[in-house]
Amino acid sequence: MDKREGGIGDGLFRRVEELIKVAVLLPKGMSDQEVEGLLRLLPPDTSRSMRALLAPRFRDVSLDFIRMIGGWVKEAREARAEGRKVVLVPFNFPPEIIYLFRNAVPLTSEVLTTLGVSVLEGQGERYWDYAMGLGIPDFLCSSSTIELGSVLTGRDFEPDIIVQSAPGACDANSKIHEFVSLHMGIPQVILEKPTDTGPRGRELHGRYFLGFLRRLEELIGEELEEERMREVLEEANRAAELYYELYDLRKFSPCPVPNIFSIFTYGTRFTRWGRPEGTWMMRAMVDLSKRRLESGEYPAPEEVARCMWLYIGYYFDFLGFFNWMEERGITYLNDILSLCQPRFVDTSSRESMLQGLAETCFEYPMTRQMGASSMSLAWIEDMCGFIRDLRADCAIYSGHHACKQTWSIINQVRQEILKRTGAPVLCLQGDSWIRRMTPTSVLQEEIETFVENVVRRRRRRAGRGA
Amino acid sequence: MDEILSMARELIPPSLREWKEGGGRVVGFTCVATPREIFDAAGIVPYRVRALGKPERDHADAHLSRFNCGFCRACLQLALEGAYGFLDGLVETNGCDHLRGMFENWSRAADPGFFHYLKVPHLVTEESLEFFAEELELLREALSNHFQVEIGDPALSEAVRAANRRRERMRRLFSLRERENPALTGGEALSVLLLESSLPPGAFDDLLDDLLREAEGREVTGFRARLLLAGSATDEPELVREVEGLGGLVVTDALCYGTRAFWKLPEVEGEPLHALAEAYLGHLLCPRMFDDYPSRLQFILQAAERARVDGVVLVYNKFCDLHGVENVRLRLDLEERGIPVLVLEKEYGSAADLGRIRTRVQAFLERIGGRRVAGTPASPGGSGKP
Repeated sequence: MDKREGGIGDGLFRRVEELIKVAVLLPKGMSDQEVEGLLRLLPPDTSRSMRALLAPRFRDVSLDFIRMIGGWVKEAREARAEGRKVVLVPFNFPPEIIYLFRNAVPLTSEVLTTLGVSVLEGQGERYWDYAMGLGIPDFLCSSSTIELGSVLTGRDFEPDIIVQSAPGACDANSKIHEFVSLHMGIPQVILEKPTDTGPRGRELHGRYFLGFLRRLEELIGEELEEERMREVLEEANRAAELYYELYDLRKFSPCPVPNIFSIFTYGTRFTRWGRPEGTWMMRAMVDLSKRRLESGEYPAPEEVARCMWLYIGYYFDFLGFFNWMEERGITYLNDILSLCQPRFVDTSSRESMLQGLAETCFEYPMTRQMGASSMSLAWIEDMCGFIRDLRADCAIYSGHHACKQTWSIINQVRQEILKRTGAPVLCLQGDSWIRRMTPTSVLQEEIETFVENVVRRRRRRAGRGA
Repeated sequence: MDEILSMARELIPPSLREWKEGGGRVVGFTCVATPREIFDAAGIVPYRVRALGKPERDHADAHLSRFNCGFCRACLQLALEGAYGFLDGLVETNGCDHLRGMFENWSRAADPGFFHYLKVPHLVTEESLEFFAEELELLREALSNHFQVEIGDPALSEAVRAANRRRERMRRLFSLRERENPALTGGEALSVLLLESSLPPGAFDDLLDDLLREAEGREVTGFRARLLLAGSATDEPELVREVEGLGGLVVTDALCYGTRAFWKLPEVEGEPLHALAEAYLGHLLCPRMFDDYPSRLQFILQAAERARVDGVVLVYNKFCDLHGVENVRLRLDLEERGIPVLVLEKEYGSAADLGRIRTRVQAFLERIGGRRVAGTPASPGGSGKP
């Protein structure tokens, strides 16, 4: 079959890999002129994302991030050539579990989608359209369906194993991973999160987790070694320390942590946790944020709103989203994913490490809230805590249309957050990875109107700003 | 049969109303994973929550959203309007993301009195069966404490035996539907099942006896094709009648308000709660279960073969992730075996959707050919009468 048939061309992974091979060569300390020259050479969609990433105020940290992701992608390619297993995992699964194995590497569906959407010309639309052409319903989640749509074309890098860990927390994510496994004949390993937050649910999950690891060991053909586990988890603990340092820096006003570090945080958490590259990335973010705090550097005349994003952000226009808000003094404090609150795993014994990892899975972002006994209660309590702790003065729900669980309870959540913390909640609506549904300009208008008419007025009344 | 069709159109059929007027208790549930025998043993009527194609959702949409399944929104609407005020309680199950949201809103906005969450695992393993048996024990305790009723093992075993007998007779009735000259239409079969999950057990058993006698000598004629209807929450006999009015007789199904609710459930034997856990979780033919797709495909293939269908209609409510994705795989697998398939996305209960559905079904019937009595729509109430 002609590789160009149907306009699919190469798969998402292959195209991203080709671009990243070049991007990792960009040197640190590039001048604005050099960046401008580079951006003119790139196709429009790629250029826009690179313009956001290469903003002078965090340019070198973005280059660190690109290198980290470049290494992650390259490692998957090389692993295949070396006969190691490539394990496709969803975002709600800790990648350090795959790093426990010497003969396996993780690739994360939603991170690949986000990379494709952010750097490829035409974003991820052709892969989404391919999945729709197969009959996959249009209300499925683009976060996973774009990357998995690419796998379904048969023209992309195929994983050896698919992990799915969303049964109990997300139907859309679970079903599309199951579908790809069945359709492509790729073995799947399932970790269920019981929707029971009590001791019985935790105990059942612990037993599931051990069975899950045994199945992984069989498929990878390797037994876990205690020393290797310790090495990986101590590295993960180092990254966790830096995570909390960065979290604390967000408490300052104006916020010294750039908005885009939110996505860098989970980009790191979901790809390189437990590896030195992940720790270095966290350190790079902390160091820059500290420097900004010391120098008082802030890209707007004042911080006009400290927004807690209750769920996720939008990923098809970094420039028009993260950077645009920051340059107007609208701080993107955190979202449900960057509030991953990594656990410190006790590495004193094999058992303590296994228990720590099971708990990490149980409390993983989104799994923790949407897989709880009560979705609304867990989400409300977590978010109210973070809003108070980070001194947020408003909250925004992105309203990703595929997320039926959050849509089903957002009215309760909105009312409770306002009642308990006083923070007003803006509910947007759109697709976080597909620009065709709600364009950036509409999102910007809604955010701006909310900030100007609700948040700013309340701050004025409370004497917290001009 | 006319009496059944009429009763099934009511949210509260007459014998259930009488039961309530006599002081009887009724507890609502939604998911086929809920073992009704536990309620039977407690002398409580387990009532399967339904919306019967109700199109209004304005109150519900103030809680849920338009990205949620219309069936759940319609059920919540009924609850908010007070139509479910006759329920003495509600049992939640984690059937799907939409249902979970519906229950969270229902329990908050319209106090159901008794409320219990029965947590159903998504995998069948030794651990999950043990967990589910404990869940059933917790349900028994909760019902017992709230309603002040004893639910001992002897009563439970008796309820299990009665349910076994009822299911056996249901299978006999539904076999008559699948035979060469079907005894009842798909719309009628769905109405029977709606009554089965809403009447006091004794009342339904009497009705079933009458039906079995009547059905033996009954024949539905004048249809163009024999169809299997499978898919998501479909408690709308009117929708099935629409399809049948076009000449596609639904001779068997794989719906959760249809045969999936009882066909594969084995004879329950042994220590009742563990036996119920194994029967209900181990034979839960729902795409919410993972690592079990082959069983669901087999169930449909076997039904298609038994009922000698000409085609399969896979239906799902808009925004149903579970069936929406499952149907893609099913279509590929069925078509590979030479079975024509129509995948039909529908807006639950929407009359505005009927024209589109009719056109698609007509086109499908044309595609699979008028192998039966061409040109004459099924007429269950006319020539179908014995």
